[in-house]
Amino acid sequence: MTDFLEITVDKFTFKVASDRRYSAEGMWALEEPGGRVRIGLSDFQQQRSGDVAFAEVKPAGTMLAAGDEVAVIETIKVNIELGSPLSGEVVEVNPLMELEPERINQDPYGAGWLAVIDAADWVRESLNLHDPQAYFELMKKEADEEIGNI
Amino acid sequence: MTEARRIVIVPCSGIGKTYGTVSREAAYDLTRDIRPEATWLVPLSLLVLGDEQARADVDGSQAITIDGCKLACASKMVAESGGRIAREIAVLDVYRQHRDLKPEGIAKLNRAGLELAKTLAQELAAFVDSLEGQEGEAHHA
Repeated sequence: MTDFLEITVDKFTFKVASDRRYSAEGMWALEEPGGRVRIGLSDFQQQRSGDVAFAEVKPAGTMLAAGDEVAVIETIKVNIELGSPLSGEVVEVNPLMELEPERINQDPYGAGWLAVIDAADWVRESLNLHDPQAYFELMKKEADEEIGNI
Repeated sequence: MTEARRIVIVPCSGIGKTYGTVSREAAYDLTRDIRPEATWLVPLSLLVLGDEQARADVDGSQAITIDGCKLACASKMVAESGGRIAREIAVLDVYRQHRDLKPEGIAKLNRAGLELAKTLAQELAAFVDSLEGQEGEAHHA
């Protein structure tokens, strides 16, 4: 069962799953057996972005470098291009994204995953990502700034 | 139809939110232009403030709620006020079916947003008709 780091800022509660790594832009990456890495959007990033109307994920077979666009989500507030937290080939896309993209909001660390990447060099690239505690601190700072400015 | 028997329409009260504005435009279209005899607009803000008349209008009435986001404040407040929700609808779900009608703007919606509101209002009008049909059948039974 996944543990979470959690903070409440004003009326919002944000969770950071403690079993994966994060890009500064709020994409998570969870290593799975066989050199594959599942990716998705952090709870903070999904709450900040708003209710998702549409999610378009790059199809299986797409080759990505870290930072390349892996998905575009359209929310009630904004359109966001999401950069892949790692290099590799997209080998699986969450089929729920086509008809139930709201899963990103409902369960960002579970059913709302975006894609599975066959990692090119996870050992090296994972070092470029934040561990949960570091991302938690970054998120807290951003949440304080953003909500403090509302 | 008396006011007491009209179907209560409660849209989102979110000011400064595009989808909230769409919900209100749809509610105005429905209650003022499309089905004025069958529907009755109750502002969510009055329910939130505990306005006695607004709560009395909702209490025990059939209601349609139009939420601007997944917080679903309209649906929650109507349920809390004793309304019988016949249908709860979120603007986002309607937009998903009409992606060419992307709403933009806040105080003043763009053309697509107004069109989305009209589409939503028409959909709800059909639902209102079906509710009235059911009611009529029940009276004749």
